[in-house]
Amino acid sequence: MTVLEAPAAPERPKAQDEGQLEKATERRNRRTYLALLLPGLLGLLVSFVFPLAYMVRMSFNQGSPDGVIVETFTLDTYIQPLTDPYYWKVTLDTFQMGVVVGILCVIVSYPVALFLARSTSKYRGLLIAIAIAPLLTSAVVRTYGWMVILGTNGLINSSLDGLGLIDTPLELTNNMTGVTIGLVEIFMPYAILAMISGFGRLSPQLEEAAGSLGASKFKVFTKVTLPLCLPGLLTAFLLVFVLSISTFITPRLLGGGSVQVLATEIYDQTTGLLNWPFAAALSVILLVLFGLIIAVYQRLTKKIGG
Amino acid sequence: MTESKLSIVDLTKRYAAGLEPAVDRLNMEVEEGHLVALLGPSGCGKTTTLRMVAGLMDPTAGSIVVDGREITHTPVNKRGMGMVFQSYALFPHMNVEQNVAFGLEMRQVSKAEQKARVAAALDMVQLGHLGKRQTKELSGGQQQRIALARALVVEPTLLLLDEPLSNLDAKLRETMRTEIRSIQQRTRATTLFVTHDQDEALDMADRIAVMNGGLIEQFGSPTEVYERPRTHFVANFIGQANFLTGRVGAETGRANLAGESYYKVDVEGLGQFGAIGSSGLAGSTHELVIRPHRLNVSLHPGAADAPLAGTIERVSYTGDALAVAVRVGGQQLQAQMLTSSGDLPRIGDAAYLSWNPEDAYLLPSPAKLERLAS
Repeated sequence: MTVLEAPAAPERPKAQDEGQLEKATERRNRRTYLALLLPGLLGLLVSFVFPLAYMVRMSFNQGSPDGVIVETFTLDTYIQPLTDPYYWKVTLDTFQMGVVVGILCVIVSYPVALFLARSTSKYRGLLIAIAIAPLLTSAVVRTYGWMVILGTNGLINSSLDGLGLIDTPLELTNNMTGVTIGLVEIFMPYAILAMISGFGRLSPQLEEAAGSLGASKFKVFTKVTLPLCLPGLLTAFLLVFVLSISTFITPRLLGGGSVQVLATEIYDQTTGLLNWPFAAALSVILLVLFGLIIAVYQRLTKKIGG
Repeated sequence: MTESKLSIVDLTKRYAAGLEPAVDRLNMEVEEGHLVALLGPSGCGKTTTLRMVAGLMDPTAGSIVVDGREITHTPVNKRGMGMVFQSYALFPHMNVEQNVAFGLEMRQVSKAEQKARVAAALDMVQLGHLGKRQTKELSGGQQQRIALARALVVEPTLLLLDEPLSNLDAKLRETMRTEIRSIQQRTRATTLFVTHDQDEALDMADRIAVMNGGLIEQFGSPTEVYERPRTHFVANFIGQANFLTGRVGAETGRANLAGESYYKVDVEGLGQFGAIGSSGLAGSTHELVIRPHRLNVSLHPGAADAPLAGTIERVSYTGDALAVAVRVGGQQLQAQMLTSSGDLPRIGDAAYLSWNPEDAYLLPSPAKLERLAS
């Protein structure tokens, strides 16, 4: 038996050089990314960050009834809405409207979105297009449409009256009910789109697997379908909430002046009373409201693993 | 006769009126504890059959009987079967333990028992330490085992596997093949296994149902479907095969107790050869099936009697194996040689083929003329 000499270990590449090379590549990559991001960043800076900063600065100025803006630094513009019960009510109404519209919109859009997401029909694309077609008409036109339908002599009231079901017309316009109905319908396409893109983890095989393991149709829905849809539902809710509390046209037209939310209030302060600092302060409050709900949203999505 | 675990009677699935049925009056009996492979090319109806047994699809006609009880129209959640999907279908919003416990939870098994049974099932697939993991953190092989544990933990009446290995890479596929088979044998779970991979079917199954065009072409043990294929399709689909068509002459003797006989077969243009087949084939035209590794190839004439002379047209050397294609008359025959036999043969070399009569099997059904033409 012969003793073989152990072969010499192959020379290892110098780790230091390798590491440096890697770092250099990484640096170069990062520079490329930055260069690619720059146009977008500049655009955002000009169209978003500057105006926002300007608005925040404006909110600390002093307004006056004659429309003159006094350059100063005061918290009066904030103290007034935060102490005046009227503005508390407007803020709470706004928040409540956003939540109610968001929830209702998610509820009525969910079946449509679930159907479209699951569809394997060759008409699926067409059906999705039809579902979002209302976006082709402006919210103003659709709001007027709802005024015609919901008005005192509108479609619903005259139908119910004709059937002898009511004596006095239902009050469906010029109040929060009308605004809510209008907003839910107007935001449905957005909710449907957000849901379809958020249902990515749902697959028919998961539902079949649950069924084969003994889950009834109801259990399949509550244990598998719904939990997997949650990220999509949350995104849709957030989107509709944000759109609702920032929308102006529908609350103004369907609310007929009797519904005051932050958006209509800001509009009145800007164009009616020319109190720009006060309007700016209300806008900042609205932004904080956005921020709060987004923080909650992120907490929730992390929890459900979306 | 012992009662079958699963009986499929005249099962038919037609997706739309006027279309060819996807599954056409299929009949099968599966014994308790057996692993049966439904093997066939894509579109042969194997997955459709499995889905009908699972209750995920309604048959157009026919019936499915499990343990003597007709379940043709029982909803999927009342069938008590365990299914492993091609994509594993693990619930992404649950961790490994919750996934495995799902079936037990649906059966309202107590929490304590759930815990014990989940732990046992995870141990069985050797993943007891991964219970708290999220499913997306697992590798394909691990997900596969979790899916298997989830299906087996409910002690299913039938275990249904839908191409469970097709998403794994080649190495892992072979490991999982052995593992699934050993788990199946330990649990004695009667299993239906859909696959398009003949190696998988031959390796794992007790019985193979070779399917084609919605029909079962042959239902038998791996050796039966390989050694005694009933049709051209089966011979061609399982393993490699050379086909020669010839006129069967007189019986030359009884071959075995199974009633098979030896024959002389006249193959046009090539000569007369010995072959084996079921009795009563004399006088008609049949196809002869010879597996490549049963063909003796010699580079020198005279070794075997009545050698068939030809020319080597292709040589494929893969280290372990040396395959050659030999042109004889109007046909090309595939054959295998030993790799240690010195110099490799070259294209254009003369080669002499012979075979033992018991390695040339006559297909029982007469050769079809249209296949001869093609």
